[in-house]
Amino acid sequence: MGSFLINTLNTEKAGGLISNGTSSPLWTKSQKARTAFSLLIVIGLLFTAFKLSQGENASTAPISLLIGISLGLLLERGRFCFFCIFRDGIEDRNTTPFISVLTAIAVGSIGYAIVFGQFLPDTTTDRLPPVAHIGPVSWPLALGAFIFGIGMTLSGACISGHLYRLGQGYLRAIPALLGTLIGFGIAFLTWNWLYLHAIADAPTIWLPHLLGYSGSLIATFATLLALLIGAIKWGKNSDPLSRSTTSTPSISRGINYLLFERWNPIATGALVGIVGMIAYLRVEPLGVTRQISTTGRTFMTNQGIGDENLLGLDRMAGCIAVVAEAITNNGWIVVGIIFTSFAAALAGGRFKIDKPTPRNTATALIGGIFLGWGSMVSLGCTIGVLLSGTQAFALSGWVFFAFLLLGVYTGIKLRLHKS
Amino acid sequence: MFKKKTVVGALVLALLASVTTTQASAAPKNQSRSVAQADWLEKNIDNPKVRIIEVSTEPGIYERGHIKNSVKFAWHTDLVDVVNRDVISRAAFTKLAQKAGIDADTTVVLYGDKNNWFAAWGAWIFNLYGQKDVRILDGGRVKWEKDGRALTTSVPSFKSGSFVATQLDKSLRATLIRDVLPAAKNPKLAQLIDIRSADEYNGKVFAPAGFQELAVRAGHIPGAVNIPWGLNVNADGTFKPVADLKKLYADKGITGDSNIITYCRIGERSSLTWFVLSEILGYNVKNYDGSWTEYGNSVGVPIVNNAGTVWGAS
Repeated sequence: MGSFLINTLNTEKAGGLISNGTSSPLWTKSQKARTAFSLLIVIGLLFTAFKLSQGENASTAPISLLIGISLGLLLERGRFCFFCIFRDGIEDRNTTPFISVLTAIAVGSIGYAIVFGQFLPDTTTDRLPPVAHIGPVSWPLALGAFIFGIGMTLSGACISGHLYRLGQGYLRAIPALLGTLIGFGIAFLTWNWLYLHAIADAPTIWLPHLLGYSGSLIATFATLLALLIGAIKWGKNSDPLSRSTTSTPSISRGINYLLFERWNPIATGALVGIVGMIAYLRVEPLGVTRQISTTGRTFMTNQGIGDENLLGLDRMAGCIAVVAEAITNNGWIVVGIIFTSFAAALAGGRFKIDKPTPRNTATALIGGIFLGWGSMVSLGCTIGVLLSGTQAFALSGWVFFAFLLLGVYTGIKLRLHKS
Repeated sequence: MFKKKTVVGALVLALLASVTTTQASAAPKNQSRSVAQADWLEKNIDNPKVRIIEVSTEPGIYERGHIKNSVKFAWHTDLVDVVNRDVISRAAFTKLAQKAGIDADTTVVLYGDKNNWFAAWGAWIFNLYGQKDVRILDGGRVKWEKDGRALTTSVPSFKSGSFVATQLDKSLRATLIRDVLPAAKNPKLAQLIDIRSADEYNGKVFAPAGFQELAVRAGHIPGAVNIPWGLNVNADGTFKPVADLKKLYADKGITGDSNIITYCRIGERSSLTWFVLSEILGYNVKNYDGSWTEYGNSVGVPIVNNAGTVWGAS
């Protein structure tokens, strides 16, 4: 019965409902308590969203929290962790999870094309659609992506990965996120030099300016298809994509799928793509670093460290730090991710406090610094540039994707993730 | 038979048009003519003789939802010259307004975020280039949303209009050499109104919070009185009643008997005060778009700096 599972790793300790080969549910007391507590967390989050809808920023803050809740659920249940996905592909030649990334880009790009068509019907002018993550294509972008990839390998996840894995009890995420803050600080100190020497004159290339929306969609899908074929050919030990479909609907099976089994990569990717489109339509492009970099920048401004004036940054589109005291919309996304991931992991029996060692704490901290520096000079991370950039037909998104993969590949070949 | 039908059809059309169309009026300027109320706008939202223009500065705000049939004008690129520091050229504005389907007799209604500051700039530009009937939506975007009125994301497109900009009307625009310096030296020529905050007016700060310093001198133009723009509006962003507005300015010695020049930092907030004085009260007003960022940077011009702040001194 377990053979149809995409990833048995998640279920082996979970005490899944069908673990003994029968379809009769085995609700242990602790399982019931855990699930009830998880439900309470989700209700609490939804209530918070309701309260937010009555306050200031009533139109964007509650939606941001709802987006964070959806994303937390998808990341945790679909194991949508970019580092795990890349490592599975590179090390184990298991490329099934990679399909979720390609699906997210494919579905998201259709969504963006629909929204763009209304936001900016005419692509023949120099104008760019408002606030979409379309950044300049420069060598700091490529370098930032590569360094980010190394940071992922060293610290064990990307920034969104650390956020959701924190909810799973992965304590190494704490030094990694602290390192990310430090990395942002270092990046702010290097920003002005990079901006004047490389970024200011770099071209901002948006495919619809050259190809229109339909041409850009065709180009995106052609690229995704090539990547998909490449991934399938590269994959030797890939997980089966779907389970047997002969099963009739049953409540216990439904609960099992909802809480214990890893979600299907195509379904996960498609939902991530839809969440990305909704985020752009209603608030701003999906991203997870703006709150962290804002916190870093505000701290530095208050302490008088570095140059208060980050040249040209406020004119750029991406996950960009603003100087702010309050929690931003992006902050609500982060809150949603962490708490929903915790609720999902708890109900599914995947919550496990994982004791860090001094050595892996140090590598997480250093890796985090790389993550912070890389994402600041690239104006985002795996979510904000890789997904929200490629979905928005920005060349910068694809450049980030390519050099990030190169960074992770190099890091894995150097066995940085084993250190 | 065919002819008869055509005649009847034309008559019906003409009748319909006379009912649904708001004619551009040359009536004297006053609040009810120049300030559009939301209820009226909702009734005229599909009226082809009414064109609604949104001028907001928050990126993406128009795209995520705007009043039905409204067209977006981008302040930073559509309503100013993007190379020289100047208002949009006559030719470029003609093209822009035509694309929005505006004719000479179209009633133009502007609204925007930030308390209509940039919408007021748009109203000033339309007046500079000779459009007869230009109005501002009372309370702007914020009030419209607070009232729970509908927004849409669909972008309208209109048949090209026949609007042709006139020569720029110099009686509405003050320049440093022609108007402001003479008024600074001879108060009889024009009354200057500084609509910035008291701290900027008194020279305590070089620029309002959140802005980088854009002038290397603090203070105000000699003879200017300080009437911050916010006094023109109620808490909900709507314009105060005419009697209150008249009293507000009369208390500062501005009664409309002489010429008036309004200014701020870059000329956009002062276009709101220009609108109040010129379009609601019917006074003779020029807006000085060079404003403090031109005047406070000019060499050799007289300045009053009450606070005595010295630029660059530690």
